[in-house]
Amino acid sequence: MVENSIIVENLTYRYGNLLAVDHISFKVGAGEILGFLGPNGAGKTTTVKMLTGQLMPQEGHAILLGRDIVKETQAVRSQIGVCFEQANLYEQMSALDNLILFAELFGVKGFDGYALLKRVGLAGREKDKVSGYSKGMKQRLMVARSLVNAPKIIFMDEPTAGLDPVSSEAIGNIILEERDRGATVFLTTHDMWEADKLCHRVAFIDKGKIAAVDTPHNLKQLYGKRSLMAEVAVGGGLEKREINMDTADTARAVEELFEREKVVTIHSEEATLEDIFIKVTGRRLSE
Amino acid sequence: MNTRVIKALLKKDIALFMSNRFYLLITVIGLVFYIGVYFVLPSKVDEKLSLAMYAPVVPPAFTQLTNQEGVIIKYFSDEESLKQAVLNGSYQVAISLPSNIMDTWAAGGKPTITVYYASMAPPEISAAIVALVKELSYAQTGQALNFETTEEILGPDMLGNQIALRDRMRPLLAVFILLVEIMSLASLIAVEIEQGTARALLVTPLRTSDLFIAKGLLGVGLAFGQAVLFMALVGGFSHQPLIILVTLIIGSVMVVGTSFLLASLTRDVTAVTGWGVLILILLAVPGFGTVIPGLISDWARVIPSYYLTDTVSRVANYGAGWRDVSMNLAIMAGFTALVIWAGMTALRRRYK
Repeated sequence: MVENSIIVENLTYRYGNLLAVDHISFKVGAGEILGFLGPNGAGKTTTVKMLTGQLMPQEGHAILLGRDIVKETQAVRSQIGVCFEQANLYEQMSALDNLILFAELFGVKGFDGYALLKRVGLAGREKDKVSGYSKGMKQRLMVARSLVNAPKIIFMDEPTAGLDPVSSEAIGNIILEERDRGATVFLTTHDMWEADKLCHRVAFIDKGKIAAVDTPHNLKQLYGKRSLMAEVAVGGGLEKREINMDTADTARAVEELFEREKVVTIHSEEATLEDIFIKVTGRRLSE
Repeated sequence: MNTRVIKALLKKDIALFMSNRFYLLITVIGLVFYIGVYFVLPSKVDEKLSLAMYAPVVPPAFTQLTNQEGVIIKYFSDEESLKQAVLNGSYQVAISLPSNIMDTWAAGGKPTITVYYASMAPPEISAAIVALVKELSYAQTGQALNFETTEEILGPDMLGNQIALRDRMRPLLAVFILLVEIMSLASLIAVEIEQGTARALLVTPLRTSDLFIAKGLLGVGLAFGQAVLFMALVGGFSHQPLIILVTLIIGSVMVVGTSFLLASLTRDVTAVTGWGVLILILLAVPGFGTVIPGLISDWARVIPSYYLTDTVSRVANYGAGWRDVSMNLAIMAGFTALVIWAGMTALRRRYK
């Protein structure tokens, strides 16, 4: 049993003079979902390419499932699944044939394509050509394809980008099911809400460097400001009041608010991962 | 080499090939077209002799000869226009009689007759003309006379052979069939790179070499299969079928290597088509030399397809054997190994 599914040490890659990934190190535990967050050009895709053997690291190394990705590329690949951001399916083939092809490449015996397609919500459309699928359906098929070999590590690059809420939730549920199965999920995303909901830990990457790695909860504790947001009736309108929850006077401040003003709504407000990312890197994720 | 992986890839590529109407259409239409062209072309050589002649004094026997079956004589008013008629291709052979021919014969001398040949005239015509002139001499004098002939070839030297046009075209058509598959296979690879499916394949346990082998088998299968079918239907295996088969196999592998190179140098299917047509034209050039002997000069030997067409032509049309074409086969094999290596190296970089 490997304790850490992924061990990255000093991983580095340059495109000419551009240092795309700058000596990054991190570990991902077995059965963990790690959110890999960063704006465009931060080095996310280059990191994933190195971890999946598509690019050779120029410095450092990556150990997946106890094997060096450079030295034992084929052995590692047989145990990983990759879901790309851009749909890259054989459009002239059916969904079922797409899956069967990859099952054969992985040498999966007794592969049940119908069951997998049912699991991603494509039952009844198994034999339709992929060219006739909607974007959401293609993305679900991409997820299904990354699961044909029951991988121990799944790399998912923006799996819900541009999808409707129903498709996003369906894919989110599959990620959670895979976690329950014991798979490690390396999730690259811009979506902070998705990362917060799904990930055990998140890593912020910016300009090729890891800026922070921790659980969303710890990051919020460390960098965020907890507060209560209230709407109070003033004259004919509403005004907002904010009470910091991390001071000794919080209880008294709440009491005074209710005594002195007419409170219409009140709720707690945590810093989002987006807020924390800005605080840590000085940049927005959407840049 | 992983046979399971290669089998899966081949199955996929054949399915994609068959599902793409464009590939299927150009393959089937191409094959039918080339076979059709072969059978539409004349199967026999025109044996009627058209003869141009300049004769300041026309011997009476020549007038009789004009009426003979199989000979058409056209008289010219001067020697220069006679030569021009040969040069512009109106006649393959022309005869110029000296103005003193009758006097020379009468004096028992040997007149000198000048025979002009078009450079693309078959060599048999030379003997035919000498025989004709002897017959004329005999008809005129009642006995075989001695005479001198001077021969002059007009135009570039393109001496050919008495082979039907369609048989001359057979190697060219066979090579065309092979070459068209350069574009089909390159398009198939380009689509995989363009749509990112190649990237999806390369994060599975398959090795790049397995991918190349699968693509290579498909390319060789398509090119070789069609070329063999064509040659079988047009009687291209009547001489030394084994040499023809070996030549076509090497040619098919050359096609695969060229496809790899083309796919690695282009970004999409449109670019494959554009560059592919240029490559196709270049590689087809030596084939025209088999249709019109002498048309292609020595420079064509730098085009690798020269050795392909030349071998097929020499074996199928002239009955050449292993010894005759061994150098051609060696050069082809060497070039094919080079182009396969270059194609695989370039494509491996492209995949990454």
